[in-house]
Amino acid sequence: MFNEATAAAPAPVETREEITFSATGGEYFRIWIVNLLLTIVTLGIYSAWAKVRRNQYFYSSTRLAGSSFEYHGNPVAILKGRLIALVLFGVYNVAFRYSLAAGLVMMAVFAAVMPWLLWRSLQFSLYNSSYRGIRFGFDGSARQAYLAFLGMPVLTVISLGLLTPYAHYRLKKFQHTQARYGASQFGFDARVGGFYKIYLAALGFFILTVILTAIITMVMMGLALWLIPGAEPERIGALSTIGGMLLGYPMGIACTWLIMAKLQNLVWNHTVLDAHRFQSGMRWGRLAFIYATNTLAIIFTLGLFTPFAKIRAMKYRLESISLQAHGNLDQVTAQNAGDVNATGEGMADFLGVDLSM
Amino acid sequence: MEAVSGRYFDGKTSRAHRVSLSVSDGVARLEGDVVRQASLSTMRVSERTRHAARKVTFDDGAYFEADEGDAIQQLLDASGHRDSGVVLAQQSWKLALGAMALTVLLLGLAYRFGLPAFASGVARMLPLSVEQQMGEGVLELLDKRLLAPSKLSAERQQQIAAAFAALRQPHEDRQPYRLLFRRSRLGPNAFALPSGDIILTDEMVKLLDNDRAVAGVLAHELGHLHERHMSRRLIQTSAVAAVTTLLFGDASGFIASLPAVALDMHYSRDAETEADDYAARMLRHNGRSLADLEAVFLALDKVEKENAVSIPYLNSHPPSAERLQRVRHLAPAP
Repeated sequence: MFNEATAAAPAPVETREEITFSATGGEYFRIWIVNLLLTIVTLGIYSAWAKVRRNQYFYSSTRLAGSSFEYHGNPVAILKGRLIALVLFGVYNVAFRYSLAAGLVMMAVFAAVMPWLLWRSLQFSLYNSSYRGIRFGFDGSARQAYLAFLGMPVLTVISLGLLTPYAHYRLKKFQHTQARYGASQFGFDARVGGFYKIYLAALGFFILTVILTAIITMVMMGLALWLIPGAEPERIGALSTIGGMLLGYPMGIACTWLIMAKLQNLVWNHTVLDAHRFQSGMRWGRLAFIYATNTLAIIFTLGLFTPFAKIRAMKYRLESISLQAHGNLDQVTAQNAGDVNATGEGMADFLGVDLSM
Repeated sequence: MEAVSGRYFDGKTSRAHRVSLSVSDGVARLEGDVVRQASLSTMRVSERTRHAARKVTFDDGAYFEADEGDAIQQLLDASGHRDSGVVLAQQSWKLALGAMALTVLLLGLAYRFGLPAFASGVARMLPLSVEQQMGEGVLELLDKRLLAPSKLSAERQQQIAAAFAALRQPHEDRQPYRLLFRRSRLGPNAFALPSGDIILTDEMVKLLDNDRAVAGVLAHELGHLHERHMSRRLIQTSAVAAVTTLLFGDASGFIASLPAVALDMHYSRDAETEADDYAARMLRHNGRSLADLEAVFLALDKVEKENAVSIPYLNSHPPSAERLQRVRHLAPAP
């Protein structure tokens, strides 16, 4: 705990502050189901209020050094953002059905608007988060946003994917150097090599998956043909392929969890706020276990486990992050920021873009 | 009422001030490192919760965060502060489970009645050019992958087409169609595309070996066209996918796609039944016997039994034996 009202502190002390997440599946289940009912009854309009309630619950359940976070999003602003997103998305989908040219024009419009919306979304979500009464903020300019969200992906395509880790690095650097807590700036000192290492490890894991799947499929096929004389080779082939996929598909998903865990660690272990450092000790085996058992539990409960699964995964992800505080956290001052609209936030929501980690 | 300990943040710096909060006559009072008071009605009280932090915020954004949830809840209860109905429902298992029952009921009704009605309305409003394009794309793909030109002679094709064209359609609004012959790698089959194309495979003609039964098959496919099943199905699938993503997307995109697949199967079985009914109406309208249709199901049933690997519910078509039963129960032709 931080010492309040410090009387002439001498040398600053290093303390380790863990993030704790006190939300429970049971409580979130009740919030979730009531929100869901109201969203259905209001034909989706309530979803903006549902989002605010949910975030308020998540934020005020997240504590660092004894104090909780707070979410300030305005539901009307979020609703407006969602409506604009819905219209844009609808026009985009219809355009391609009418003609290729119209579709391509809409695609270009989309590519041109998207970075701006993502940028706005970052501003909105950070501006509407606070800790100890001080709001977060995002300073990055539109030009930088276009470079990170449009320029980098284009570069990735041109380089045939070879620059993907570099683009990812630039994106995280943009997010983590332009964020502020009050008047204090976040900093990011990871190197691009770390991103390449993770992507290479994932690629290796993926190749291993493919080879293993192929070998097991062939072994199964051979065994079946040998054990069941007179079986139709075509049917055995189909069944073995399904068997191989049952193994290969989970391994493929596990690969995305590997990337997720390693990236969270890399990014947060290199993020600083003034003299304070963050640490992330996520283990991907544990993460994979949580996600895999969540998936099974959701299937076997016909979806009712969903809110419990969400809390379980969030708890692990959040609680693996801690802050190495240098001195106390009392010195941060607020900085006024202009109003931020929620169009981007609604859009990012709608497209399922997760910018939080 | 005892004062509740906690911290005060002034909204200007991140410094925590030790204070205690008490409420009397609707006025909230902070004492300790900071002394401040305001009418509770002008303050924003965070919603009741058991596991998250509780805050009471002044109108300038400065706030009090309680050290302990139970204590501040007692204080608020005693002060006469009341939460909204939504919050109370979210804090009560009884009401939340009631909400769950209501949600399941509403979703069930929407799936069974609302969505099919909506989809058929939208499908009828879709411009023909859109359906035309969708169908052409599919045909192109099928021709590349699964279909080959028909081996039936031109006369034989002409014969089948003429026999079917001679039948009158059961409805006033004539359903336009185009009959195409193909050879298939999938065995005996016939299907209708949104563009109005009906594809009949040589294998089907060979299997039935009865031109009246072939006309029965074509009538069934015409039923699909008349009811716009393909477009309706596309609309329904997207709607179901959107709803399941809303429900389960929180946890994983993969899980969200599972119910969409299973639920689609059910609609598809309904569509087959509707098309069977249309075919039966058409045959009767022309004074034909339903035996033509029965012959189709008998032949298909035999094929199914030979290849016996079908799970009754998870199949997009009802088993032929079931369809046969249904048609037999329809009133006999006059």
